[in-house]
Amino acid sequence: MTISAERESEVAYPDPTPPHAGGIQGWTSRPGWLSQHLGTAIVGAVAGYLIGHWLGNVIASGYNYVANSGVNAIANTGGLLLGALGWLIGIGALNYPLAKMVGMEPAPEQETTSWTRYFRYTADHKVVGLQYVIGVLLFLFTGGLLAMAIRTELLSPTSHVFGPGTYISIVSEHGTMMMMMATSAVVGPLGNWLVPIMIGARRTAFPRIEAFSFWIFSAGYLVILTALPYGGFPTGWTGYAPLQTQASGGMMSYLVGFALIGSGMMAAGFNLAVTIVNYRAPGMTWSRVPIFVWSILATCALLTLATPTLVAAGLFGILDHTAQTAFYVNEHGGSSYLWENLFWFFGHPEVYIMALPGFGIVGEILPVFTRKPLFAYKVAAAGMVGVALLSFFVWQHHLFQSGINPDMRPLFMLTTELISIPTGFIFLVGMGTLYKAKIRFEVPMLFALALFFNFLIGGVTGVFLSDVPVNVTVHGGFFVLSHFHYTIMGGLIFALFGGLYFWLPKMTGKTMNKKLGQIHFWMMFIFFNLTFFPMFIIGLLGQPRRVFEYQQNLQALNDFSSVSAFILGSSFLVFIANFAWSIFIKPTPAPPNPWNSLGLEWQTASPVPYYNFERIPVVLTDPYRYGEEGAPPVADLGEELVGAGAGPRAGTSTGETSATSAE
Amino acid sequence: MTDTAPTPSAHQPAGPPSAEPRHFWRMFAIWIVLSAILDPLFYFLVGPHVPPGTMTSSAAENQLDFNILFVIALPVILAVWVYLGYSIIMWRASRKDAPEPVGGEAARTNLRVQTAWITVTSVIVLFLAGFGTYELIQNYGAGGGQGPNPIWKPTASHILPVQVIGQQWKFTYRYPTYGGFETQQLILPADTTIAFHVTSLDVIHSFWAYQLSIKADANPQVDNVAYTTTRQLGRFTVRCSELCGLWHGAMYNFGQVVPKAQFDSWARQTELTTAANTRLLPPFAWTYVPDANGAGGGYYNNTVDPYSPSEVYGARQPAS
Amino acid sequence: MTDTTTTPAYSETPEEREFELRASIGSYWTGGRLFIGMFTFLLASEAFAYFYLRSSNSGQLWRPRNVTAPTGIGWSIYAVVLVSSVLVIYGQWRMRRGSVIDWEVAGWTAVLGGLVALGLQIWQLTQLPFYPGSSGYASCFIGWAVMNIMMLFGATFWIETVLARSLRLRKVAADDGPVQLGGSPQAQIFRANVSACTYFWGFVAVASTLFWVMFYLI
Repeated sequence: MTISAERESEVAYPDPTPPHAGGIQGWTSRPGWLSQHLGTAIVGAVAGYLIGHWLGNVIASGYNYVANSGVNAIANTGGLLLGALGWLIGIGALNYPLAKMVGMEPAPEQETTSWTRYFRYTADHKVVGLQYVIGVLLFLFTGGLLAMAIRTELLSPTSHVFGPGTYISIVSEHGTMMMMMATSAVVGPLGNWLVPIMIGARRTAFPRIEAFSFWIFSAGYLVILTALPYGGFPTGWTGYAPLQTQASGGMMSYLVGFALIGSGMMAAGFNLAVTIVNYRAPGMTWSRVPIFVWSILATCALLTLATPTLVAAGLFGILDHTAQTAFYVNEHGGSSYLWENLFWFFGHPEVYIMALPGFGIVGEILPVFTRKPLFAYKVAAAGMVGVALLSFFVWQHHLFQSGINPDMRPLFMLTTELISIPTGFIFLVGMGTLYKAKIRFEVPMLFALALFFNFLIGGVTGVFLSDVPVNVTVHGGFFVLSHFHYTIMGGLIFALFGGLYFWLPKMTGKTMNKKLGQIHFWMMFIFFNLTFFPMFIIGLLGQPRRVFEYQQNLQALNDFSSVSAFILGSSFLVFIANFAWSIFIKPTPAPPNPWNSLGLEWQTASPVPYYNFERIPVVLTDPYRYGEEGAPPVADLGEELVGAGAGPRAGTSTGETSATSAE
Repeated sequence: MTDTAPTPSAHQPAGPPSAEPRHFWRMFAIWIVLSAILDPLFYFLVGPHVPPGTMTSSAAENQLDFNILFVIALPVILAVWVYLGYSIIMWRASRKDAPEPVGGEAARTNLRVQTAWITVTSVIVLFLAGFGTYELIQNYGAGGGQGPNPIWKPTASHILPVQVIGQQWKFTYRYPTYGGFETQQLILPADTTIAFHVTSLDVIHSFWAYQLSIKADANPQVDNVAYTTTRQLGRFTVRCSELCGLWHGAMYNFGQVVPKAQFDSWARQTELTTAANTRLLPPFAWTYVPDANGAGGGYYNNTVDPYSPSEVYGARQPAS
Repeated sequence: MTDTTTTPAYSETPEEREFELRASIGSYWTGGRLFIGMFTFLLASEAFAYFYLRSSNSGQLWRPRNVTAPTGIGWSIYAVVLVSSVLVIYGQWRMRRGSVIDWEVAGWTAVLGGLVALGLQIWQLTQLPFYPGSSGYASCFIGWAVMNIMMLFGATFWIETVLARSLRLRKVAADDGPVQLGGSPQAQIFRANVSACTYFWGFVAVASTLFWVMFYLI
């Protein structure tokens, strides 16, 4: 059932004060049924929601505009915010901050192998990673069901399955959920689980912030789901302003949900960035860091710095609805362009938040299945940093036709096209690695190769979109829709599944069924392309996004796309069956290094111990020295070398142990 | 995302030249043949039919722009596909007596390949950016909305202004040079430079005249200007391409480009027949501020004081 | 490759202990700066909104009749925040020179200052001479007030936890000398925390100055 069912639960602590505990056994989490877990979180969320909603009604029921409209945005917002707060209190996220106020530091967490730890607020990054796996998949499949609904409606240009209000709610909910999910899709599950192990750390820098990121991410999931019972929202995932101001009900779920998800993104990115900078094992120099860690570092920089803009934009939107400010109301001194600019200033870096981790995963998978070193490692790392930097300077390409001043247009066309240079490095890396390789077509490798196929189409069509004259035809149509599904689904989601097939044996200790994996891959790959490639043509032939009525002559293409989409959707059932069968029902124990990888994460014990490494490893080289006679192992994991204090980093850091170096 | 040709060539010295087939030249040959066949095929067979057609100057230029981009992009795509396909066939582990890959420094990095890659991608990208900018400026904004202060203005002596007003969920059109009458039919004269002034009464819409290759967001209280010159007669579709709420999907209508004389008589005729309506309309203006209880959606009610002084019925004169 | 089915107990060598300590101290340093970076982008969004609405002045409604938020309260908030920041920075300077009690007094005064500023900020929201949606300035002011509450709450919470920790550490680790000066791992990590917190208070002072100028002077 869990990672280490067969593991000894008896653990001895020879040292009563692990380093980060601070020596004060002030606050411990209670074990057992009475302690805090998912159940108390749900109770807290319900209680918080009821209190918040009641409070909002008390505050605002006397207001004219509330009494007349029948919708009380203050009660909605209060309910959602206090509900999220109750969720956090219920799971125990606030225990630590409150204990800190009286000066206590937490006792080291009791190591447990009980399955209940997956339902708790835990400082173990491996547990948080697996919580994220389930959370992200749940998010993805919910959004996927909505996509099926959209394709059902588009089967016919004129006769409708849903009313226009239901349809627009489904479209908006699908887009918003998928975007929320995709921002954490890799950083959450694989980033949290793998990064500390890949850099040879025993823990992350701020484990409670990490746990916080997951639980607020899950709160965001619940909040965005409440949009449907509130009557949905009509703005799509972009939430453009006058429509946003006009809408009510589910709109608050969108704004509060994005603010919560944004906080989770910042927390996750913050923790991992600090961990990567500070907790690299001795010898893990920047030129030896695995490429996946580089991609996560670049992503975390974007997560921490771009997301506050989203939170601010969401805050302004919430204030517009509750405090009746006029940030986005043109008639009252606000501006609808303000939302567009703030949203896309976050929104474009977000696109790379979704792309970069996929590149990192592929960069890890390729060398293992080609038995060759990663080609042009430094170019790849530089490319990721370059993409991260440039992504802050391209946002206005979303506003080419919006009526902002046109003089910036050539500049943003240039920066947008420039960003394809560092993005293209991933192809240099991939193709160089494939050269004269010995390719094993295991399931993860299939997904990695598919990324190159899909992302090529997504990337090249991106150049079309960045060209202002062509943009006139393709902006806001199915062409751009297909483009970003090719980059996000064809890139990130393919990479995510490749990564799951690749690392789940290590994460869970169970082997995924290869045959089912191959069926899943081929269904997903073929029908992904059959679903979305026709949409380029549909878009060029003049179908705008988010419509429920379209030209008669496009029905054949739309139906083809819809039927493919249904098969694409059912390919995920194969994955779910494989996951349930291989992990829970008939688990087959996985060997500790099934792919014969040189990566550090495969070298530690399997199942991975609570503290990851028996000794902090001393990294000797980068993990890509395949096909090389006499290459050293990636790291020394034994006691003898650590005792000798080897490794350049350990050597230098011990030298500067003075009291003032804390500054 | 560029020509892969240089990648393997620089690797060539790494393998024993006698035993190894010349991978690079094989791939290059496949690639050049495919590109030489498919590029002209696309350009001459598909190209003339690529949307948005050639009904207006901006449509023709944008079609050309698309075709040029495609002719450059296709070899790039082919290069990667040929390389991927070749590697998958030639270097799969299941192939008989597949050699063990050679690691080491030569397989990790290759300055020539990397430099060539970066150079080629940069050249392509910079060329495309330059070409796009040229097309944008030479083509007076390429039919895209330039905002209230357009900087690339057509030089034609006679420009017909047409106002496009988006509201939930229809487009209406006003012809200021014909007394500012309002109609739901977009009729345009042929061989005329037209300035579309796009604005909105409520939320953001986007005026997309598909065959004319015009796209400009309709923002409340913003006069978004887009230019084109009509060339051919015919009907065209207008769709809203920015999500504007419930009936966004049903927000479309059709327009027509007619000969100049026919347009003139239609416009004068309509001006006369709608004169009674026009008197009831707000006076023509580049933007309109609806009443707070009107098209704005009734969000702010005006019983609360102090309130904005702009809550007046009808239009206000342009600020410029 | 370690292929074990039983996990050995967690233990640390002295080198590992040293490594963890360095990493911990480094995390406070990096984390403190990154936290400031995050807040910078949050406040930059507010500043962007301010200048964007000011320059677009839609409907001539950026700031009709030059309305201003209650200046007396506004200036008081700014003064209290500035004094608290200076106290925190001065306190840390004193602590490094060995005067622990000075730091504690300065710190607790700053906590008080933070709470007073928070209270004033909330009170100011009830005293506004304009309706929140009446102008661009009014909207931006409400936005800033909310962000200011978040920032002051964060800064006050942080310095309070550091002070509470120092009180508790004094009881626990007294044999190591005063924790603010000692060389024990706890003391070093504690000082890294103090340093990051002080840095953040400096940031609060700079941000408050900028927004004070934006909302009350220009």
